[in-house]
Amino acid sequence: MRWQYLAGREVLTTTLRLQNYNRLLSLTLSVFSLRLSKKNSLVSGWLPAIGLMVLLLLAACSQPDDYPAIRMGLASAPLNLDPRFATDATSERINRLIYQRLVEFDSQSMPVPGIADWQKLSPRHYRFYLNDSANHFTDGGRLEADDVIATYQHVLDPDNASPRRASLTLIESVRIVDQSTIDFRLSRADPLFPAYMTLDILPAELLKKAHNFTRQPIGSGPFTVYAWPESGKLILERRHDHQLIELLEVKNPTVRALKLLRGEIDMLQNDLSPELIGYLQLQTGIDLQRRHGSNFTYLGFNLQDPDTGDPRVRRAIAHAIDRQGIIDQVMHGAARQAETLFPPEHWAGSGDLTRYTYDPATSRALLSEAGYDAENPLRLIYKTSSDPYRIRLATIIQSQLKAVGIEVDLRSYDWGTFFGDIKRGNFQLYSLSWVGIRTPDIFRYIFASDSLPPIGANRGRYSSPSVDRLLLQAEAAKTLPQQASLYRQIQQQIHHDLPYVPLWYEDQVSALGARVSGYELMMDGNYDGLERVSIHHSEDLQHAQTAAAY
Amino acid sequence: MGDFLISRLLSALVVILGTVCLVFMLIHLVPGDPVDVMLGESARPSDREALRVSLGLDQSIAIQLSQYLKGIAVLDLGSSLHTKQPVTELLAGHIPATLQLAFAALLCALLIAIPLGILAAVNRGGSWDWGAMGFSMLGISIPNFWLGPMLILCFSLWLGWTPVSGREGFSSLILPAVTLGSSFAAILARMVRSSLLEVLGEDYVRTARAKGLGESRVIWHHAMRNAWLPVITLLGLQLGALLGGAIVTEVVFDWPGIGSLMIESIQKRDYPVVQGCVLFISLSYVLVNTLTDIVYGLIDPRISDGTGR
Repeated sequence: MRWQYLAGREVLTTTLRLQNYNRLLSLTLSVFSLRLSKKNSLVSGWLPAIGLMVLLLLAACSQPDDYPAIRMGLASAPLNLDPRFATDATSERINRLIYQRLVEFDSQSMPVPGIADWQKLSPRHYRFYLNDSANHFTDGGRLEADDVIATYQHVLDPDNASPRRASLTLIESVRIVDQSTIDFRLSRADPLFPAYMTLDILPAELLKKAHNFTRQPIGSGPFTVYAWPESGKLILERRHDHQLIELLEVKNPTVRALKLLRGEIDMLQNDLSPELIGYLQLQTGIDLQRRHGSNFTYLGFNLQDPDTGDPRVRRAIAHAIDRQGIIDQVMHGAARQAETLFPPEHWAGSGDLTRYTYDPATSRALLSEAGYDAENPLRLIYKTSSDPYRIRLATIIQSQLKAVGIEVDLRSYDWGTFFGDIKRGNFQLYSLSWVGIRTPDIFRYIFASDSLPPIGANRGRYSSPSVDRLLLQAEAAKTLPQQASLYRQIQQQIHHDLPYVPLWYEDQVSALGARVSGYELMMDGNYDGLERVSIHHSEDLQHAQTAAAY
Repeated sequence: MGDFLISRLLSALVVILGTVCLVFMLIHLVPGDPVDVMLGESARPSDREALRVSLGLDQSIAIQLSQYLKGIAVLDLGSSLHTKQPVTELLAGHIPATLQLAFAALLCALLIAIPLGILAAVNRGGSWDWGAMGFSMLGISIPNFWLGPMLILCFSLWLGWTPVSGREGFSSLILPAVTLGSSFAAILARMVRSSLLEVLGEDYVRTARAKGLGESRVIWHHAMRNAWLPVITLLGLQLGALLGGAIVTEVVFDWPGIGSLMIESIQKRDYPVVQGCVLFISLSYVLVNTLTDIVYGLIDPRISDGTGR
């Protein structure tokens, strides 16, 4: 009802605005033509025309919104609030707030019950029981087994081309047992199966009616969409206390920080340069929070290239990069060194890998051993995206490599071109980050010799029979501890072979203005902390009064 | 005038059609695939193919182009590959902001440039001339990505007069309009100055002065009338560019205009939206240039009569 009311209100406002616009436009044009017809007074005709132009501009301006929302600045707006098709990080983070899932993750990335507990009846048969945390959908219906089945079946249907299907193809069948119990049968055993059960659940009734979830999401999560008046502004309502949260796209990071200082937004998270983080830290009234993150940044090699295919060259490059120096001096400490894909606290993480220390002498010796010297320097092409911060980091790496005698030609491209080149293997060096990875099946996807793009993400064409064998063993392991042990062996081997130079895990950073408090940063950068953020007490009273007037 | 208008409209149609076809082919030639952006790397080849078919991307470029042109004929520009919103709806959401910013910047530029250019020309070599040309040089040299944040720092953060960014209320229009208008004003002021200086040396101006007319009448009613022609040419070109989207200014001030929509769509390889933006921009250029030609005719009837030099 509220959605319809709001949609109606939007249409009405827009229509009225457009009508005013048209009326003024035609008035302006008629005055213009009147003035133009009097050829001799052309110059004096500018003044009323300019006056009308001002009127037109005044009329076209929308007024600032006047409701008690907590405003959060985002680097990019969500594109798609249909969780079956959303692929951008912002949409996925917001969908987490609007919908619920069977399974969540704990701080070690272990699967834990979300709205369902599970029981492993056999290695290929799992039973999920909906628990009390399953809410009602915002359209009134209660989330039940039908909804779970309809959502999974829709995603598994190849005709629907959902990007979420790939991780669920081991599901052979989904069957309802009763209104709170669902059976999943698998085509092969996988002890990690519950970790894949993270699809956001949609109401079955609306799925049947092909409801447009992209723009009008209906979920059972802690938030509902209050209004989406324009692509760069989404207003959510927290269901338990009706607090409004306005998510506002502010692309430029400097402007985002300035808006926070001016009080036009109340909070922001990530996508800030180290200088801006340092600047915000010094401002009074700004609460800057940091916590370790799990997003992994790396330098990738093409192993089919004659230069970067040589392990001595890869090791020389690893020893030539002063990762801690970059973290301390450039990133102002807002990261921690990485040795592998998963941080040490991950249940399959490997904290005992020997570091590739910054050692220019060893680097030069390895290069010399590989046949390069001052007369015959190693020349490499390093590709990166056009993001200014990434270019800056690449430039620093370029200068560190130059110090050991490696000539790097740095090239930045727009995302589509850059990513296209990386997938085709058209590179020697590139840098990218893995964001939001939770489950160790990622190792098959990135490092198995048969995971070349477009099937997988083995972009560097890495091929190791021992890693392939260990992957098979890990996938066949019956328990998670066995799997964890095998995945640690895989990480050891990869760390030795060095298809990537692991760089760092960037910290998560948020900044809160003086008006709000209670926001908790998540390790993976999700916005779950919005469930508890609140306006300070004095504002609270005002909010309660305004909310009553709505 | 009628024949003149018809010939202008016909050539405009050819220009728009040519632009649309050229951009359609170019955008399909650039590396990067919308299916990759939508499905991610983990998708199976069969899923990729299914999506490609459902989006019509499996057809040859010629067929896709002919379907697109048929769509244009009935004002159907297709839907965004990512958000599924109709392109016309997306454009309608961004065009008002673009028009608003373009006209505000134009107004700002005119208000600064015309008096400044005239003062510089009338006081040639004097302090006004040096001052105006110094401003002009500064305006051309300062990039918008620097000027914008500086204006925000000064007027929003320190003085608190305007919002930092966004499109809420008239005050939010001031800084983007000044940022965008200042470089335009700088170019325009130089043009007004040089154009007026040229005209002021002509015989008919000397005659007007000899008749005993006041200096302001000589300048506004006699000299400026002929000095307008090159200025209007520049105005037409710049207005076309402004309507095409002032990308840097839009990004700095989070102004939801056509420029930022087009850049985002190019990055996501959202072909229908890119095409829609290109169509709007080429239409704007053609419309503004046609209007410029009409105004030429009104200022100097020799142009529309075909008797001009």
